[in-house]
Amino acid sequence: MRAGALSALGVTLADLLRIRAAANETAKAPAKSVILLWLWGGPSHLDTFDLKPHAPVQYRGPYSPIATSVPGIEICELLPGLAKRAHQYSILRSLKCASNDHGIAGTIGLTGNIQGAASLSGQTLPGAVQPTHGSVVSKILGASSGMPRFMTLGDHLHQGKRAITGEGGAALGPMHDPFRLDYHPGKGLELPHLTLADGLTPSGIDARGRLQSRLDDLSRGLNTSPRMARFDEFYQQAFSLLTDPAARQVFDLDREPESLRRRYGKFRFGQCCLLARRLVESGARFVQVNWSAHVEPVEDGGDGGWDMHDRYFQQYQDRHAWMLDRSLSALLDDLSERGLLHETAVVAVGEFGRTPKINNKAGRDHWEHVYSGLVAGGGMAAGKVIGASDRLGEYPATAAFTPADLFATVLGQVGIDTTSLTTNNLLPQGSRIEELVA
Amino acid sequence: MKCAMRFHLTGGRGSRRAVSVSRLWDNQRLSRSFALPFVTLFAVLILAAAAPPEVVRITTDGVLKQRPSWSPDGQHVVFARHIGSTIFLYQRELTTGMEDRLTVQMHPEFDAVFAPDGKSLLFAFDKTSPGQGDIEIYHITLPERVVTPLATSPKGLSHEESPAWSPDGKRFAFTSTYQGNQDVYMANIDGGEWTRLTDDAATDAHPAWSPDGKTIAFATSRWGNFEIALVNPDGENLRRFTTATGLDDYPCWSPDGKQLAWTANRDGNLEIYTQAVSDVGEPIGEPINMTQNDALDNFPAWTPDGRLSFISDRDDGFDLYVTKKSAFSQ
Repeated sequence: MRAGALSALGVTLADLLRIRAAANETAKAPAKSVILLWLWGGPSHLDTFDLKPHAPVQYRGPYSPIATSVPGIEICELLPGLAKRAHQYSILRSLKCASNDHGIAGTIGLTGNIQGAASLSGQTLPGAVQPTHGSVVSKILGASSGMPRFMTLGDHLHQGKRAITGEGGAALGPMHDPFRLDYHPGKGLELPHLTLADGLTPSGIDARGRLQSRLDDLSRGLNTSPRMARFDEFYQQAFSLLTDPAARQVFDLDREPESLRRRYGKFRFGQCCLLARRLVESGARFVQVNWSAHVEPVEDGGDGGWDMHDRYFQQYQDRHAWMLDRSLSALLDDLSERGLLHETAVVAVGEFGRTPKINNKAGRDHWEHVYSGLVAGGGMAAGKVIGASDRLGEYPATAAFTPADLFATVLGQVGIDTTSLTTNNLLPQGSRIEELVA
Repeated sequence: MKCAMRFHLTGGRGSRRAVSVSRLWDNQRLSRSFALPFVTLFAVLILAAAAPPEVVRITTDGVLKQRPSWSPDGQHVVFARHIGSTIFLYQRELTTGMEDRLTVQMHPEFDAVFAPDGKSLLFAFDKTSPGQGDIEIYHITLPERVVTPLATSPKGLSHEESPAWSPDGKRFAFTSTYQGNQDVYMANIDGGEWTRLTDDAATDAHPAWSPDGKTIAFATSRWGNFEIALVNPDGENLRRFTTATGLDDYPCWSPDGKQLAWTANRDGNLEIYTQAVSDVGEPIGEPINMTQNDALDNFPAWTPDGRLSFISDRDDGFDLYVTKKSAFSQ
């Protein structure tokens, strides 16, 4: 094809070479997709994947470690399902973040960079906010089978009433923002904040008939919305796909066996994990499942987040622990049974950990110095513990890994490396965790 | 104790054996010191070998619920229900199935327990605050539903929760972080004269007052993970009740005070266990798994007539279940 012809199509030679290079890298990459379970608010590492049973009672908490399917690896007794599946994932026990402010740490976790982060007090840090990991995937890998490349299941992330930065495409443009969906028991599928056409407002969609009607409306609105001008051809393709009767079946959880839906848990996070599997199965490249929109659990407008400064153990035991255990276990099983786990990287992590020393409200506060994350599939090592914290779980006892390191590794598994980042004028973040890909 | 053993073995498949055990007791005049453990062990073996009791599903909405409490006349049950980001208290009338919210507050509320006379409840109220929640214990009258704060700490954001009435209705036990870590306290029903019953760096939780008023059961992490412990209402004679590996939490006394039920994960899954308790608060025999289900079974509560209720997700979502018969007459 001549350069002139390319130009007529609105594609430059550089674009063509970039796309070709990305395609070559992707073809060689062990993973096709990423599912990020974003545990917003910050789980306690001492009560999930890095217990300290020999620490003083003021530190260790009220739970015991239990054996897992991998000899020598122990996790919390409240996660028995994940204990049975330890051979399917690895645990990072020396993650470290540069901030203990949800807003800042959240931006770091989702972009690998502190630039442009907004703190609880309203201070915005210098520098331009970087695109989030899903947006990077969207930019470099492009669409697969027409499915939106980057999808977020859940509403915008907040700390208090302040939305955090770093959830979208930033300088990459709105075409690389996540396409948002959500699911709520009793309401069904929701398209939060979707205002493509005047007069369209998000509303609960449950029955298939209502879903079809909603998407028909959406389809009609696409042709008239001025905002469409802001989307590139891939995004238009994605929306067109959503209005396609066959494609919209991807979003219909009623098509899943009831038994499987129950294995995931008939609560919001569980059903969103199931939806994430359906999305990657249909070609989505990066699906982020937000545990909650707010860091707060029940107080102050919270919606079940992990930021349990008080009543940590009560709430973790009564709600969070079994929810995480059930949903993540089901996701690992489901991906594995469908032969998708080896090509789907799964990450479960929050923005930081929690104070090893229990506070005077039977809770744990923010702790950025060391925390844990779980990584599975996507060609990454399984059945391993990588890194360690010290005796009380206060600081790394081995080399610390940053959120940027974690996602440099994960994105590397889908074929995005330093070269592809710089080729796309993106700033490489972090270093690959070799133990995770060895 | 002899009567208690007969009660435990009344009815069902074990009844004939129970009679023979009683005759053995009477006719051969075995010493009490020998016969009591023997009879108890026998009872435990029978119960342990039995299938779990048949249950009735009370609610069907499947939404997460917590900590049911039954009115003394057995006509109502109160529980906390999570809907979206809220957790509110609901009262359900058993005969009609009608439900309504206990209060009209918009802040989190949970841990409601009926007074011994059934005319009021205590509950924990999590006031939204500029910082994190400030949880306090409130009193609500029935049927007027007049809400009054009872246990409000002078130190702002401390937590007072998990109230448990004394059987005479004059006092209540609860947990508080008022003096640092979470311990068990006791107060008069007007909210005055706090007495600290436990003082340990570990977490103490979920007190339950025995029907005879002599003992308070609670969960504590002082020996590792959560275990059930007993303490006298004056704070003396604290002793360990459970010793198994795994979590033990949410103790509750049977109406006759002869049994404790609680949640445990010793089989790798949350189940409801029961165990006989001696007159001096010692465990008798072995704990019995009353649920034996792959689902999550949690938050045990006895009905006034001795049936065991709990929250389980064994069907579709989390609902309230209750055994068809007295838990020890299967």
